[in-house]
Amino acid sequence: MNGITKWFIQLGKAFRQEMSTVIHDAGVLLFFIGLPVLYPLVYTAIYNPEEVREIPFAVVDHCRSAESRRLVRQADATSAMKLYDYAPDMQSARALMAEGKVYGIMEIPSDYSKCIMTGRQATVPFYAEMSLLLRYRAFLSALTDLQLHITQEVTAGRLASAGAAAPPISGLPINTQANILGDTQQGFASFIMPGIVVLILQQSMVLGICLIGGTAAERRRRNAPLAYSTDMASNGPMATILGKALCYVVFYIPVTIYILHYIPTWFDLPHIGNPADYLLLMMPFLLASAFFGIMLGNLMRQREDAFIYIVFTSVVFLFLSGLTWPRFAMPGLWHALAGAIPATWGVEGFIRINSNGATLAESSEPFLWLWGLAAAYLAACYAIARITARGRRANRSH
Amino acid sequence: MLSPALKGPLLRGIRSLASRKMYIFAMVAVPLGVTLFFLTLMGEGLPLRTPVGIVDLDHSQMSRQVTRALNAGELLEIRHDYESYGDAMEAVRRGDIFGFFVIPHDFQRDAIGGDTPTLSFCTNMTYFVPGTLSFKGFKTVAVTTAGSVVKTTLVGTGMADDTAQSLLQPVVPQVNPIGNPWTNYNIYLTNSFMPALLQLMIMLVTIYSISFEIKEGTSVEWLADARGSIIRALLGKLLPQTAVFLAVGMCILGMLFGFAHFPLHGSVWAMALAMALLVVASQAMGLFFVSILPNPRLALSVASLTGILTFSIAAFSFPVESMYGPVAIFSYILPVRYYFLIYVNEALNGVALYYSRYYFAALLVFPLVASTMLWRLKRACMKPVYVP
Repeated sequence: MNGITKWFIQLGKAFRQEMSTVIHDAGVLLFFIGLPVLYPLVYTAIYNPEEVREIPFAVVDHCRSAESRRLVRQADATSAMKLYDYAPDMQSARALMAEGKVYGIMEIPSDYSKCIMTGRQATVPFYAEMSLLLRYRAFLSALTDLQLHITQEVTAGRLASAGAAAPPISGLPINTQANILGDTQQGFASFIMPGIVVLILQQSMVLGICLIGGTAAERRRRNAPLAYSTDMASNGPMATILGKALCYVVFYIPVTIYILHYIPTWFDLPHIGNPADYLLLMMPFLLASAFFGIMLGNLMRQREDAFIYIVFTSVVFLFLSGLTWPRFAMPGLWHALAGAIPATWGVEGFIRINSNGATLAESSEPFLWLWGLAAAYLAACYAIARITARGRRANRSH
Repeated sequence: MLSPALKGPLLRGIRSLASRKMYIFAMVAVPLGVTLFFLTLMGEGLPLRTPVGIVDLDHSQMSRQVTRALNAGELLEIRHDYESYGDAMEAVRRGDIFGFFVIPHDFQRDAIGGDTPTLSFCTNMTYFVPGTLSFKGFKTVAVTTAGSVVKTTLVGTGMADDTAQSLLQPVVPQVNPIGNPWTNYNIYLTNSFMPALLQLMIMLVTIYSISFEIKEGTSVEWLADARGSIIRALLGKLLPQTAVFLAVGMCILGMLFGFAHFPLHGSVWAMALAMALLVVASQAMGLFFVSILPNPRLALSVASLTGILTFSIAAFSFPVESMYGPVAIFSYILPVRYYFLIYVNEALNGVALYYSRYYFAALLVFPLVASTMLWRLKRACMKPVYVP
């Protein structure tokens, strides 16, 4: 039997062994199947309302005129804002805010109706509570729309009443048109879910692999120095690493299709990409995640260590992916670290294909980075395997 | 002063903490390291100069004015002038830019001649923050350009300058963000995400350290050391951890409110108290999980699930009143939710302590609830069974 055939047999053996390890370990199955199947459902349950509506606000009306009441009615009529109550003065309005009853206060000045009537500009202060930026943003855009609406109304009236003095224009001389791409409704789930699901793929896989790594370390300690042969002895390190990684990737193919195709379809999230494009992108992503996981798995000493070392990284990786804080605004060190995490490129590539309808060619940057990372982490795994194998051989010969 | 019955368990607790570097990593390095990560990552506060493009099909004096106006603001940075709409769209899909502004053919001629040209812009909302900021930047320029042309026309017909202005904007809502007038994301996110991360690490370490006794089969000896009292045994194990986490928690507060100068409009003691109660409540939550499920992997799984979902369900970004009711109630079983509400009241808004009374009280409920399940933990410790 020549070397290449032998190598492929070793590869197949490592693949089969790992498959049996995965299937017989309830903990790994929970990470590999339970987590990626359930998390997206839970997240969509949380974020599915998409928009922030009917945020309560209070009004302090110093004017108390038909015009000021009209303004309040119009604000109340927007989908974002809901009048909670009138407050007699700012102090009591602030008390309402402190109790968490309202998140905004509109203070209408005493000369409001006078300004409207005499054709002067009226300024209406609005105080927004800032614990959640989403509420502030909803208030801001509702008030901006309200302003445009009032402008059209009042200006039309004024121009009409100005009669002879009316300038020879009909409407505004310039139209503006805003086009929103990707998340066209600006919904929260539609924005966050396509990114989160990719991160879930990486993190659940890494957690599972680290659980396997910790369990193997425990077993090695228990059986040492007799039977370290379980994985590395008969097989070459490269065949073992590739066999394991192939096992994880094969396991993740149905999970990936579920999470990238069915979740967006079921929950009506943005999903305009070509499946061939994003599934091809996922090949290097899954490989890079598998090698990344195998590398980290070497650090685990106990079966349960994965929880301590890996779980919190989801938060860090979420931020590094640029989903919340864009990558162009990151300081150099974090920008570089982000580039070394498979999820960063997986998230970026998938979002562009899935939500913006990019082709794989247009996402070539993430695609190439993912292949690069896969190669780099494979090399790192190989180096670690060689070094630890030598260490163990040395231990045994003592 | 220290009763001898407690001295043994305490020494044992300290020894086991010192036995593995993992504990130092999880209790000190992770919370402080991630705080530094957040503070430096979002050091700018607001991601300014979002890369955008322009499609100038007019190349007139007026279109150049618009281009300059776009670049003059702090929100946008024009990276490229594209030949066509299609080119710009492709750049968006490639991720080079987050949006672009289109100035149509004969824009200047039509605007002056009264033929109503259309200024349009596209923003890519798949990345929320740069999408929102570039939308805001584009809209401002589009509206002011339209406004200035109208104003020029109106003034040209003999109208007074301020009359023309009031005609354009008869009512101006002036939105004042209280407490965080810069809409600084660092203040907004770090103040909520860091305590949530601390809660996660506290739960994990609590569960890990307790369930490890069961896993190794040393729980019988652990109880015997404490003369058979599960309370003494737990005090010995958890008090040293409480001390470390308290110190780390205070360090985090120091980094946020001292070093980074985040707004602290109320009393620093209220925040310190809230942090202390968060630490104890999170330990209690971990203790509760491990009492119900005295198996390391299952208890740690439940704590991880809770801890990671906390970031979403504690409603730091998407408000709890907008969630579905059955989902929203879960927000109130999380210690950090109450810490967050105290933070909003005491640090961000600086209202009287009175308004946070229920939140402080709620944090005290967690240890009480955990104490009701100790009998289960004791039973598991007497007959340790390890299921991998």
